[in-house]
Amino acid sequence: MTPSSATRPGSLPYLGYGLGLRVEHYEALLANPGKVEWLEVVSENYMVSGGLPLVWLDRFRERFPLVMHGVSLSIGSADPLDEDYLARLAALAKRVEPAWVSDHLCWTGVQGVNLHDLMPLPYTEEALEHVVNRVKRVQDVLKRRILLENVSSYVTFADSQLTEWEFLAAVAERADCLILLDINNVHVSAKNHGFSSLDYLRGIPVSRVQQFHLAGYEQGERLIIDTHNAPVSNAVWDLYMEAVRRFGRISTMIERDDNFPPLAELMAELEHARALAEPLLQDAA
Amino acid sequence: MSTLQTIQQQMLQAVLAERTLPPHIVLGDDIADASSRLDVYRHGYRIRLRDALKVEFAGLQCMAGSRFEGMLDKYVEAHPSEHYNIRWYGSGLAGFLEYAHPWREKPQLANMAKMDWAISTAFDAADESSMGVADLSAVPPESWAGLRLTLQNNLQVLECAYNTDAFRRATDNGSKRPHLRRFAQPRQVLVWRRATTVHYRRLDDDEWLVLGASIQGETFASLCARLAACHGESAAMPRMVTVLKRWLEAGLIRGWDLA
Ligand SMILES: [Fe+2]
Repeated sequence: MTPSSATRPGSLPYLGYGLGLRVEHYEALLANPGKVEWLEVVSENYMVSGGLPLVWLDRFRERFPLVMHGVSLSIGSADPLDEDYLARLAALAKRVEPAWVSDHLCWTGVQGVNLHDLMPLPYTEEALEHVVNRVKRVQDVLKRRILLENVSSYVTFADSQLTEWEFLAAVAERADCLILLDINNVHVSAKNHGFSSLDYLRGIPVSRVQQFHLAGYEQGERLIIDTHNAPVSNAVWDLYMEAVRRFGRISTMIERDDNFPPLAELMAELEHARALAEPLLQDAA
Repeated sequence: MSTLQTIQQQMLQAVLAERTLPPHIVLGDDIADASSRLDVYRHGYRIRLRDALKVEFAGLQCMAGSRFEGMLDKYVEAHPSEHYNIRWYGSGLAGFLEYAHPWREKPQLANMAKMDWAISTAFDAADESSMGVADLSAVPPESWAGLRLTLQNNLQVLECAYNTDAFRRATDNGSKRPHLRRFAQPRQVLVWRRATTVHYRRLDDDEWLVLGASIQGETFASLCARLAACHGESAAMPRMVTVLKRWLEAGLIRGWDLA
């Protein structure tokens, strides 16, 4: 069953198939946007006072629907929310008027130190309540619902009482926020922690999912590392099809952050996503 | 049962430490033990900070050569990041090189880091409009003596005892690494942004004299008097006109007012 957009809380638009905007592809993307229907921009790259980044941002804003994706909200940190960060984020959202704003279900630092990484949380009742309160505060400041993304993780905390998907689902329901489901991260964490990626998908409430991420990883010695430096793997394409069957028509995009191929290669990957998803969606309809 | 705060603090300390046993809060299993799991974060933290620095300190990389990587490693171990934007992590590097052994013995390194950082901060400083020659024609002839120029806020001047700028230039142009040269007298290098492009160039000594005075808010008459003291009365005005034209063409001037 494909949920219609009308049944989704807040009913944000469906944007189709998009890419993460990276400086390496600025020129090529403006010259030939191909079938790229929307772009995701990393918020922090444009939370600057002026200069070239904002010039480019304005150019893309004229041509594509944009969504803002942050990496430094640190929604799960025990430190107080960074109000200066939040004010700048709100100011950028006002300028860009993105279809939506997202960040990650994680913490990026504590005691004023920033690890610049998406650190996993202990899945406890205490952490849940903490995150829920902060999401509500952020949504009040931004005057919109935000999306939170599941991260790839490499450690499990002894104190965790819930599974990752139970925790994510509970945050979304209690804080009334939406979910950016990173299919690759589900796969990476499932392999690293030995859980079932299908159990994960089944644990996520259908009506909360607003966006999918697809990306590639690197096989480490024992763990697989979410590097965003490779094409989407076959296992992740399979999981993507499962996700389309469960969640229906969801705005989908490919993230590449390193080892950049020519834009045409990313576009071909994106068309592969479309080719996999569309027949499933036709069948469902 | 640990609180969220305790868990995060222990995890943070474990990531920042160069080597340490994983805290008991982290579980190991058949797939990987707790140490290898923690190492993913430890390793990632260092790589990310070093990569961010490499983007910002191109001149320093050229000048330091094979010593560059070791320098970044020491900075990363000594300075946890306090910025939400990783790009700003480099703000403390010049200060670090000024006091940390052995780099403090080679002050050209800190100077180079300062210049790289000035270029980096000018890149996304606030936008400002600049004034052209035509805008100055609005100044009534009898008011020129009291004219004060308002300069771009993004403009920075660095004192250099060495040919620091040549190393950055070599990197930007992809040309051969220059030889280090100490100036007989320190020179001033101007860094500024015009529209979206960051520029840098050495200032002539007399140009710096009047630019510095202009930044301090001195009037046109006072700038001319300073040049007259260097070059004599008759040469002062033509030189002032040359310098002023150069500033206007470079987009250094934002506006003017009258004292
Ligand atoms: Fe992602």
